[in-house]
Amino acid sequence: MEFFIAFFNFALAMWLAWRHEAPSAVYVFFAGLVFTAALYLRHAKDALPLSF
Amino acid sequence: MDMTPKLAIRLNALTLYGVSAVLILAFYWQLAYDEVPCPLCLLQRVALTGLAVGPILTIRHGPRPANYGLVIIAALMGAAIAARQILLHIMPGDPGFGSAFLGLHFYTWAFLCFVMAILWAAVMLTFGKQFAPQPNAPARNTFDVLAVWLIIGFTGLNAASALLECGFSGCPANPARYQLLN
Repeated sequence: MEFFIAFFNFALAMWLAWRHEAPSAVYVFFAGLVFTAALYLRHAKDALPLSF
Repeated sequence: MDMTPKLAIRLNALTLYGVSAVLILAFYWQLAYDEVPCPLCLLQRVALTGLAVGPILTIRHGPRPANYGLVIIAALMGAAIAARQILLHIMPGDPGFGSAFLGLHFYTWAFLCFVMAILWAAVMLTFGKQFAPQPNAPARNTFDVLAVWLIIGFTGLNAASALLECGFSGCPANPARYQLLN
């Protein structure tokens, strides 16, 4: 469901970019970006096999 | 070479076709080889769709520097996700995740695509004439409009595919089947 929301968010941003003025699309774009970052933090839990 | 608004719009449409082509290839691989994408793979596709918002704004409202900024931000997000997946499988002997395409895994190709998107946006930003105020709305043709609806369509298909794969709960870390098809 979470990835459906992420894809839907960017599809909505594209539709707004096409049908409406720019600001609404940009707001939805940034909302999608924050949601994507949250999904990344939720799913990127495996420890990297690296040492620095 | 003068970068007119018309030429900039055409190049943005070409970029949308490129993003659509990457999504089509990923979709083809998913369906033809029955490879269910992992959460990080899905996130890279999400970031790819995010790349399209800036070019659509350019095609609809004309070229503006901020539109290329959106491309760079989405590409940085995608590159960070792809780089993490590369690092997860970087140790010698690690077979990597999923199958390879032309010798590289799909997350490596995704990283290269995001780097190319950043480079493309940076190069486009150097052509300042496209940003000159225009008296009329930018001219678009069928080629440009088709590019927009193609990427919106493929984003919708990816949304449907993600819903079939993950169902109405959280997506498993290593999905092997479509939750809603069982």
